[in-house]
Amino acid sequence: MNPSDFSPRRYAKHVWGAVVLSAAVLVASWRSEVNFGDLAKASGKAATLVGLFFPPDWESFPKMIGPAFITVLIAAVATPIGTLCALAFGLASARNVSPPWLRLTTRSLMALERGIPEIILVLVLVAAFGIGPFTGVVALTIASIGMLGKLVGDAIEEIDTATVESVACVGATRGQLIRYAVLPQVMPSLLTNAMFRFEVNIRASVLLGAIGSGGIGYELMLSMNQLEYHKTTVAVVVSLLLVFLAERLSDAIRSHLLEGGGLS
Amino acid sequence: MLKVTNLTKRLSNGKVLLNGVTFTVEKGEFVGILGASGAGKSLTMRCILGLTTVTDGEVVFMGESGKTYRTTTIQGKELRRARRNIGVIFQGFHLVKRLTVLENVMIGRLGRINPLRSWLYGFTDREAADAMEALCRVGMADFAARLTGSLSGGEMQRVAIARAVFQKPLCYLADEPIASLDPKNSRAIMRLLQPLASEQPIIGAFHQPEMTAQFCTRVIAIRNGTVIYDGDPHLTPTQLAEIYNQDESGEIQAGLEEPHAGPLFPALATR
Repeated sequence: MNPSDFSPRRYAKHVWGAVVLSAAVLVASWRSEVNFGDLAKASGKAATLVGLFFPPDWESFPKMIGPAFITVLIAAVATPIGTLCALAFGLASARNVSPPWLRLTTRSLMALERGIPEIILVLVLVAAFGIGPFTGVVALTIASIGMLGKLVGDAIEEIDTATVESVACVGATRGQLIRYAVLPQVMPSLLTNAMFRFEVNIRASVLLGAIGSGGIGYELMLSMNQLEYHKTTVAVVVSLLLVFLAERLSDAIRSHLLEGGGLS
Repeated sequence: MLKVTNLTKRLSNGKVLLNGVTFTVEKGEFVGILGASGAGKSLTMRCILGLTTVTDGEVVFMGESGKTYRTTTIQGKELRRARRNIGVIFQGFHLVKRLTVLENVMIGRLGRINPLRSWLYGFTDREAADAMEALCRVGMADFAARLTGSLSGGEMQRVAIARAVFQKPLCYLADEPIASLDPKNSRAIMRLLQPLASEQPIIGAFHQPEMTAQFCTRVIAIRNGTVIYDGDPHLTPTQLAEIYNQDESGEIQAGLEEPHAGPLFPALATR
């Protein structure tokens, strides 16, 4: 520690930083029409609206189970397919496995995909596949590839090259190297990321349901549009339950994988 | 068996790492290569394995049924065929930590089995039994089901030796196999290697002249990329002083002996 670290000049810098930041926030809120008066007015309305949601219409609960099942199915189909494709994309996008042109192509494709929000993906896909769960599956598979493919590619680039070389020294082919030296090293990270992606996909599946892929999200939207807010509450509770359960499940599997480590 | 002739490696900046390394190894020999860090011991081995290109010279390896392989020039399938006949043991073990001990040993046979089978369903019971036998030989049979990453250095080196034995090679290369082990483990590893040498020749790089004197049948000393001694493993103190008395450039060359000097693993990308 240097005594000059505590000089008044140093603190003056902090003060200037704070002033500039506050000014920026003020200008931004003025431009985006932030109005605390409106906030106060709206909070009254919001309270009435929240009142409309209660009591929940538990009668409709059994009718939500089917759609909830669809929501889970969409994620449960999209995640494994997406993970498998992501593995292929990851191998193609790893510097140490693939030639530069392939790496560049796949990396750009995945970056492009990550730039497109899932909602827009579904809106486009609905035009192609029509409304229905399949559209959701396709959208979430593509979204999973964009995220997991990049993570797998990065993980492959970080593996221990000496180990790969040592397996190459027994006369293994490129395919055997991938199977016995590359995959064992990236599998744990791929699986934990895939479990995390499953959680994300459940949440996204609820959202995408509202705009055309069906499931609990659609029920949520429908009940809102028909002003049946008591049903909406149940749909919200069911979606929360799904997200919560998915999180618990993926946590459990993840910790099992990390402890045991018995994967190949 | 293995003939290294005039092996020369020059970098584009003119630095000479290997300068006409020449030696021949016959059946029954346990050759210890001595030399300071950066002298060119590991590099010679990497050249023999075709892991790096050479500027000049050649390596001729007698494979199965008298077939010869020039590992410095061949590539692809031919190189893989040559490599499956050479069992390699590294200083850093370089086992696949996420696989079990038995699986790591079985990797030794990858060069001999159908690639499709090795991808889809792995190894036969017969091969597993052979692998267990190799593990027994190094005293690691009880560890077969353990995850390799959980082993100690000495244990991993035993597994690496088992892998090389299971590979059924025609010769062994050991690149500083005991450099990262304590004296007790070092001695134990040397005791495992010695009987192997009576079956197939071993070429090993070492840093301990007392070990090579005790276990090897012949010593080759490399200094600044040149062979300066080849013969009886018992060296006099004067000879030793000469071997380890490098000029300054040797220190700088040390980093080039590291396995990953080239572009990310050439083993996968280019070969």
